[in-house]
Amino acid sequence: MSTPHVQTDLALVIDVGSAWAKAGVIGRVRGRWRLVAHAAQPTSWGAAELRAALLEQLVAADPRLGPEMESHLAKAARIECHTARSGGRVAVVAVSRELSGSAARRGAEAAGWRVSELVTLDDGRTLAERLAVLQAVEVDAWVLAGGFEDGASPRALEAAALVASARRRGGAPVVWAGTAELARGVAAMFEPDATTSVANVRPDPRREDPEPLRAHLQALLRTAVAAEDESHLASISFPRAVGALAATSGLRILGVDLGARSATRVLAEPDGTFASLVHARGGLAGAVALPGAAARIARLAGDAGDDAEVADVLQTLRARPATLPQSHEELSATQAAARLLLTALVDDADTAGGVDLVIGAGRTIACAPQPAQAMRMLLDGVRPLGVTQLAVDPASVLGPLGSLFDDEVREGISLLSDDLLVPLGSAVVCRGGEAGHMALRVTVHRPGWPGQAPIEVRTGQLQVVPLGRGQEAELTIETGRGVSVGAPRRSPRIHATVTGGSVGLVLDARGVPIGLPRRGDDRRAVLAGWRDALAREAAPGAERVA
Amino acid sequence: MSVVHRVRLPVDAVPTVAVGDRVEPAEVLATRRPPGRGRSLPVAEPLFRSAQSAADCIAVQPGTILEEGDLLAADGEGREVRVPQACLLLGYDTYDGTAMIAPLGGAEPILGHVRGEVSALDDESVEVQVAGSLLTGIGGYGGAVHGELRVAVHHPAEELRAASIDVGATGRIVVGGSRASAETLTRARAMGVAGIVLGGVLDRDLRDFETTQARRRDVGGMSGEFAVLVLAGFGKVGLDPALFAWLVAHDGHMASLFGEVGRLYVYDASPPPSRRALPRAGDRVIAHRRPHAGAAGELLRVLDGLHAVPSGLASRCGLVRFEDGLTAIVPLANLEATEPLPGS
Repeated sequence: MSTPHVQTDLALVIDVGSAWAKAGVIGRVRGRWRLVAHAAQPTSWGAAELRAALLEQLVAADPRLGPEMESHLAKAARIECHTARSGGRVAVVAVSRELSGSAARRGAEAAGWRVSELVTLDDGRTLAERLAVLQAVEVDAWVLAGGFEDGASPRALEAAALVASARRRGGAPVVWAGTAELARGVAAMFEPDATTSVANVRPDPRREDPEPLRAHLQALLRTAVAAEDESHLASISFPRAVGALAATSGLRILGVDLGARSATRVLAEPDGTFASLVHARGGLAGAVALPGAAARIARLAGDAGDDAEVADVLQTLRARPATLPQSHEELSATQAAARLLLTALVDDADTAGGVDLVIGAGRTIACAPQPAQAMRMLLDGVRPLGVTQLAVDPASVLGPLGSLFDDEVREGISLLSDDLLVPLGSAVVCRGGEAGHMALRVTVHRPGWPGQAPIEVRTGQLQVVPLGRGQEAELTIETGRGVSVGAPRRSPRIHATVTGGSVGLVLDARGVPIGLPRRGDDRRAVLAGWRDALAREAAPGAERVA
Repeated sequence: MSVVHRVRLPVDAVPTVAVGDRVEPAEVLATRRPPGRGRSLPVAEPLFRSAQSAADCIAVQPGTILEEGDLLAADGEGREVRVPQACLLLGYDTYDGTAMIAPLGGAEPILGHVRGEVSALDDESVEVQVAGSLLTGIGGYGGAVHGELRVAVHHPAEELRAASIDVGATGRIVVGGSRASAETLTRARAMGVAGIVLGGVLDRDLRDFETTQARRRDVGGMSGEFAVLVLAGFGKVGLDPALFAWLVAHDGHMASLFGEVGRLYVYDASPPPSRRALPRAGDRVIAHRRPHAGAAGELLRVLDGLHAVPSGLASRCGLVRFEDGLTAIVPLANLEATEPLPGS
């Protein structure tokens, strides 16, 4: 029997991360573009293995595709993005660790640079040690900072002199982000064109302004260091896709992509404009470097083991980022680390006024075993005040789509609308209130459903109302004394329309930030209650409370 | 078999070797003059100028290294300030009219810590061709040390106990098994052990040890380097039995250990067992995550489709029969195939 000739319209969407590579096949099914296969594997396994995994899925779905599928796949259009192959390394030299040093470090990390060394004049090292450290470090740029704008500090020049003596002539570029008055003096220490000046990262003791440094370093990273086609860099393409999605949907969207090494945050406005930020060490491998990470994560997880066990998990995430947590405890530690990293990632995001949609990307969030776990990572990590929809990008499609030409990004998002995101549901998050007292009273009106009594949620509680994917509900929200949902209150009642998802509607009165009991047993009980309330399968109409 | 080791040179280093030279681990490859404590050198006063206007007379830029007697400042009317000794100019203070200089100390050696032949040399680095094998770890502590390898455990999963560290270990690089406590590491350091190579270590033990060492450094009296290399994983993780056998076979060989960068050179050694991602059915494999971290076994078969492990994550998995007799399903991402040694 001869095999029928099969014609296909296919495209491959590929996201090659530092630890895992993800690929999907988009095909036309009954006239519509759908994601018909998806595979993910450690990047080190290679492209052939990834293609084989996709082929296996396609042939299993339709055996007629078998013989010709490989050639179809080979000829398919590739829409691809990847993590920067060579992350920029920077040495930060500043006067004060707490002021200019920390501001410059944050600016550099937010631009996607990895800070190889931070040397400050108050770091407790001798001059010889500082110089030895700077002479030994191999970097792609030097960042100098120090002094306020109300006077020229000789200490700032001293910091610059250290770099001038450690740096090779013609070496990596120097960025001066200190007192503007000293810019000329600093530039004179280096060969012509070696130095660029940007606005002071710490213009006065009470104010930090890392944005000009971040913007400059981001541009430097693209042009001088990662001389790759920047539109295919995941740190560029993911924000572009989120921006296009915001423009298409008219929503204010916060996208967070938590990778193995780095993390990206993008805040996109309904007009399509967006502001993004990349933390070079904000990925899971960087969790070990967070201050007091093991103790905080053990406390936050509740069921991940003691500090020592969590510390080993964090080191494993750093050393072997492509491996997977096999035990429940390791997964719990990993997800708690993700919550902590998300908090750090969105710490300075301008989310005043709330966001309409939070999108979680990256395997740890988007491919969590249960949707409730993804919901919890986003809710606990981002704490989106107000009424927010939450979704994940499990097939890692957003990044590759963002690498298309401008007009094609929106077209791609429209064509793939059914498979682009998996909605987790919506959340109402509030802050304030007194423990044990009513924080939220929410009436849920679902079209076609009998009217129900209002649901009361006390401060510190979390409650889940079943609301399936595609279902809509009208909410009437009343807040208790001292409780806020972010928006200015013009009436005692707030009305909102929400859509459901695989978790449902979450009424979250745990506060911002979440308050946890001090006693270990109490804390573990509370954490387990929240986890179970999110994860339990509830009968439609029955609320889950913790 | 040979590998290349690169030693980076600081800006002012003066090489003392040439291409083709044979070097030993303790041999000086270059020298440098580190700056000492900064001190002030009057500039405005000898020039009879105000502190502000003397700034225009400074003849060199901060960051410049000056030799004894070099010109620091001149007023164009015959008055000059020269530096009394070789120094690094750090800056000029327009408030008190002094220059901040850091006198350069005597020449300090830059050691390669490896044995081999200098294969390349330029302003930035010295490359040494090392006749031996290189093992890379996943973590470590400390600087560069060298010494003879000494295997101090009988089994790859055995914990290195403090009692195993005796005077015979002084100056050696001791190979342990699945773990060494902070007490063991402290004792090893005190006994003059050059370094420790382990399959696994608890992050807590390593941090406790680091804290102790930092305190000792602060109070002074600590001499010599000490390094730790972790080869397999964090936690109680044994060495791969094949790698352990290789280390036992090279007991007594000279080795160089670089703790922070996680490298161990073993001289005059055969190639170590190598690893490969994506194991196939029939391969000998090593597992990397709990509960099987560090365990070796045979990958019996790769399971069809995706399989959920106890954490709930679904991934491509394989059925592994571990050498302790246990059979378990393990994600392929957590396995590495170990390549057989040539001739085995």
